[in-house]
Amino acid sequence: MSKETFEDALTQLEDVVTRLEDDSVGLEEALKLFERGVKLARRCRTQLTQVEARVEQLLAEAAEGEEPATRPFVAEEA
Amino acid sequence: MSAHVWSVGELVGAVNASLKAFGEVWVRGELSGVKVASSGHRYFQLKDAEGVLSCAMWASFADRLRFKLQDGLAVLARGKLEVYPQRGFLQLIISEVQPEGIGELQLAFEQLKAKLHAEGLFAPERKRRLPALPRRLGLVTSSSGAAVRDVLKVLSRWPHLQVLLYPVRVQGRGAEGEIARAVRYLGRSGLVDVVLVVRGGGSLEDLWSFNEEVVARAIAESPVPVISGVGHEVDFTIADFVADIRAATPTQAAELVVARLEEQARRVDQAADRAEHLFVHRLERARLRLRAAAGARGLARLPSRIQELSERLRRLEALPGRLRALVQLRHRRLDGALSRLYHWPVRFGAPRRREVVTVRLAVAAERLRALVQRRRLELAGSERALAALSPANVLQRGFSITTREGDPTPLRDVAQVRAGEHLLTRLASGELRSLVLTRQGVTQPSLFMNGDSAGGARGPDPEEGGRQA
Repeated sequence: MSKETFEDALTQLEDVVTRLEDDSVGLEEALKLFERGVKLARRCRTQLTQVEARVEQLLAEAAEGEEPATRPFVAEEA
Repeated sequence: MSAHVWSVGELVGAVNASLKAFGEVWVRGELSGVKVASSGHRYFQLKDAEGVLSCAMWASFADRLRFKLQDGLAVLARGKLEVYPQRGFLQLIISEVQPEGIGELQLAFEQLKAKLHAEGLFAPERKRRLPALPRRLGLVTSSSGAAVRDVLKVLSRWPHLQVLLYPVRVQGRGAEGEIARAVRYLGRSGLVDVVLVVRGGGSLEDLWSFNEEVVARAIAESPVPVISGVGHEVDFTIADFVADIRAATPTQAAELVVARLEEQARRVDQAADRAEHLFVHRLERARLRLRAAAGARGLARLPSRIQELSERLRRLEALPGRLRALVQLRHRRLDGALSRLYHWPVRFGAPRRREVVTVRLAVAAERLRALVQRRRLELAGSERALAALSPANVLQRGFSITTREGDPTPLRDVAQVRAGEHLLTRLASGELRSLVLTRQGVTQPSLFMNGDSAGGARGPDPEEGGRQA
């Protein structure tokens, strides 16, 4: 679900840029677009950085929708 | 004198006995009329230009074949000859079949590939794209190989990525079942956005698990996109054909994920920078237009125009808050944004005009800065006023706050309290707990109506009086 939101927000942000490139857009309109762009960029960045890095190894499967047993995983050195 | 007369069974038995002299034979021929009985036994003919030989291969042997017996296949077969007594025909009971001119594995590979291709499992329209935001990654591989190290090393480049490793064996009998199970589990778990199925390089035999049908089916049925990265660049497995994305190696599989995330971050940054640049540009143009209009001789003739532009400018000066929001978002300070306002025009325009614009921008930036400063001072003033009103400060000045015990509402009216109730009084340094003896209103009428002992108003409340004394 969040994936769609990200894609959606990014597309909208790029639309904002396209519209800002149009010189016939009035100043007030440009301000609105710009503010919207700022919000969209923030939403995108939040999603890009929301997840904390983590590497885990599955210990046992769990039923669908449930968290399986895991432990942190560190690869052995070669 | 009479010739020996055989019984049928006797004769067939004798023939069978003499056929034993052939022992185990290897025969070269082409498969024809292959049938699989419900028992699992295979029946077919071996033929060449000169002859045909009926063959049977029992299920216990046939099931060990990696490839499928198909009509037209050139093979070498090993078996023993016998006459089937009930039917009386000669057949070769086969224990082993090898494809001719091609390795057994190669043949199995080609056969499965053709079969799945015919089912449409490799069709480009089935391929799903890598998710826009592959943040949670399922990894199916051995927990001890070079592959897992290579993958994790690349993935560590993006600090916002979760990896769930489902450790499996990646070679040997039974490995294919583990791989298929892992792909199925991760795909359905809802825990990952994409699944990587990887293994380092090895021989065709080593990589064989990735050419097994169960693995191919699990990948094809996965609800989330699957990236395969098996062996080296030159190795193609069935898993590669059926995966949504084929990476040449485990490292490359991980690269694809990180590259996608980096690309998305770059797109966001570029769009945000561009939006900001375009807007600041627009803003500055409006300011220059206003200056130009104000300086023109047509000033008197264009009052409404000036009015309009002044209005716009006034609104623009309400901008620092918005700029600041943008700047905070980008982890920069307001000063950074303002200094960019100074420097921005350097990127374009003729040198002479550039200077003029720079000076004007400097003035504009100064104004924005002053405005922000003023807002800050206003806010600080409001904070001081609020502080003066805070209860703590009031108490410090010698006032106190009294409440009924268990009710934090400050008391304002003696009528809220009855004699005998407990009160809490907050002073600057702490609290007093006290008992109400009597209460006395300050309303003027009571002074006149009860003008008797102790000034009237000091008298006990009529309804409480008896108990109070």
